[in-house]
Amino acid sequence: MLDHLILGLTAALQFKQFMFMIAGTVIGLWVGVLPGLGGPVAMAILIPFTFSMDPLSALLMLASISVGAAFGGSVTSILLNIPGEASSAATAYDGYPMAQQGKAKVAMGLSAGASLAAAIVGVLILMFASGPVAKAALAFSPAEYFALAILGLTVVSVAALGSTIKGLAMGALGLAISLIGIDSILGAERYTFGFVYLLDGISFVPVMVGLFAVTELISMILEGGTIAKAGKLEGSLWDGFRDTFRYPFTLIQSTAVGAFLGMIPGIGATAANFLAYSVAQRSSKHPERFGKGAPEGIIAPEASNNSCIPTSLIPALTLGIPGGATSAILLVAVTLQGLRPGPMLFTSNPELIWGFFMGLLIGAVMATILYLIMIPWFALITIVRIELMAPMLLIVTLFGAYANERNMMDVFVAIFFGLFGYFLRRHGYPLISLVIGLILGKLAEGSFHQALMISDHDYSVFFLRPLSASIFALCLVLVLWPSVKKRLGHGGAEVT
Amino acid sequence: MSLDTSARAYWREEFSLIALLLLFFIAIVAFAYTLPFDARLFPLIIGCAGIALTLAVAVEQMRRRRAGAAAVVDADDPATRADWPRYATALLSAPAFGLLFWLFGFIIASFAAMMLIPLLMGYADRRRLVVMAAITVAVLAVIGPYLLNVELPQGVVGEWLIDKLALRAG
Repeated sequence: MLDHLILGLTAALQFKQFMFMIAGTVIGLWVGVLPGLGGPVAMAILIPFTFSMDPLSALLMLASISVGAAFGGSVTSILLNIPGEASSAATAYDGYPMAQQGKAKVAMGLSAGASLAAAIVGVLILMFASGPVAKAALAFSPAEYFALAILGLTVVSVAALGSTIKGLAMGALGLAISLIGIDSILGAERYTFGFVYLLDGISFVPVMVGLFAVTELISMILEGGTIAKAGKLEGSLWDGFRDTFRYPFTLIQSTAVGAFLGMIPGIGATAANFLAYSVAQRSSKHPERFGKGAPEGIIAPEASNNSCIPTSLIPALTLGIPGGATSAILLVAVTLQGLRPGPMLFTSNPELIWGFFMGLLIGAVMATILYLIMIPWFALITIVRIELMAPMLLIVTLFGAYANERNMMDVFVAIFFGLFGYFLRRHGYPLISLVIGLILGKLAEGSFHQALMISDHDYSVFFLRPLSASIFALCLVLVLWPSVKKRLGHGGAEVT
Repeated sequence: MSLDTSARAYWREEFSLIALLLLFFIAIVAFAYTLPFDARLFPLIIGCAGIALTLAVAVEQMRRRRAGAAAVVDADDPATRADWPRYATALLSAPAFGLLFWLFGFIIASFAAMMLIPLLMGYADRRRLVVMAAITVAVLAVIGPYLLNVELPQGVVGEWLIDKLALRAG
């Protein structure tokens, strides 16, 4: 373990990696401040630009964006009552009242302290839990991998806001899109209709750019105006930072809630944010202070969303199952660098994995320092007019889609998915399920066929192996649970 | 747009999406039949699951529609509040930029986007717009080829003109 830590530290502390982390953190803080333009959007825009980088630099830059965005998301929640990130929404409940009381800097200090402590704990959990999970994953057969892919898709679809059936339909759409191209079993051309572009399948990058960035741009253009008016910054950041540690119970409890929820695919930082707030309120001796500027009301959501991000990488890196948008994009980055996520990544690339872990740790400290230094500057971005920002983002976004393979078709694919994604999102279809279906498509089909080959085309292999049968049973419970709960609730109401 | 008209438009869009999804999954199943068994097995499973799920979505939406059509429209939805020029700008900006990018290359497409989109959105300060457009395009023209090693495409028309006027270096 110590060897790995030293190996990782040596890799992460190189000047080049350090610069990429600073760049990623600054970009992350910046986009975190902008409501709507969250970490996944920035990561999707920048993913094509990471091709020319080495794998560690690419992963560290993308992960730093996500860490920075989680920090930055709290700025507008506190100053303007507008969450920069969905995962910082609950921070506004107490952050904004505190800012109205003239303690905006104290609130941001509390946010920085809680974010730093929780992010460090989250990375430590990622470091120490990933190895055992990866070892356990080595014992998995293709049937279990297939079951896990379906579980990942199910959890994400069920956890997504809105209709579960729509989530599952989007998952099926993602899986179906992944079928386009040459099939990996027989090498047969599927759904290419003679187009050379489609032989390699639809690339992840333009789809991500379209679904995350172009859809957001369409919404921004429709909205117009400015994001917000400039906020005030009063009080002392340091007082807030120090005060964080005067509430150790809330800090530990909320970090644990976020870390646990992060490990479950599909739950995500937004759910963790609200759940931790509610748990902190219920367990507080003074729940009546919540919503009126209680320090615990800032510590709880910020600690939970920052511990959730690193732990969400555990299923992504060890099993290749992304739990949300951030880990899905990081998984795409790993794949595009020619690496295969999964347990073998830990044995074949220890320098990359441990360098990445140590980089996340350093990145958390760096994000706190940059956050404390740059808050006043970042808040000003919210007054830039969307009329000017939207075309700039459009140009950079579609240039990114082109730079991926220097192919104009990628630009058209990004535009298509942007428009299609806009209408899907407007009608409550969770886009994340589509993305995860697309990412898991190859893994699901490959392991499905391998399992059948091993079992001599006996379909019962998926249901007779205890682990895969349990995973499928869990999928079924997850899909049926909302309607069962509804019926039970309804029945109860009738009785009373 | 009145709430009733918005609700009608919402349901029209909703059922168009459902029809599109259904068609896509039917196509996945239909075109799989010509493939060898191992290559068509997974597409058949996914296609059939997709058809079933889309039909389930359709049933769910029909029930919702009967329950109360107008309740689905969010008054805060920017698409509901936007007038048609703004709506058209939002939806057509990306395709128009893509078309210009393909025809005339990155520089001209970017400059056109920087100049036209803000104007269509009602931005009035033209002098600032020209400066912003020039800076943005210049920065990207430097970053693309020199920092990212990505040659900026000249576009179909641009390439044709370069060949016609014999402007190609070397």
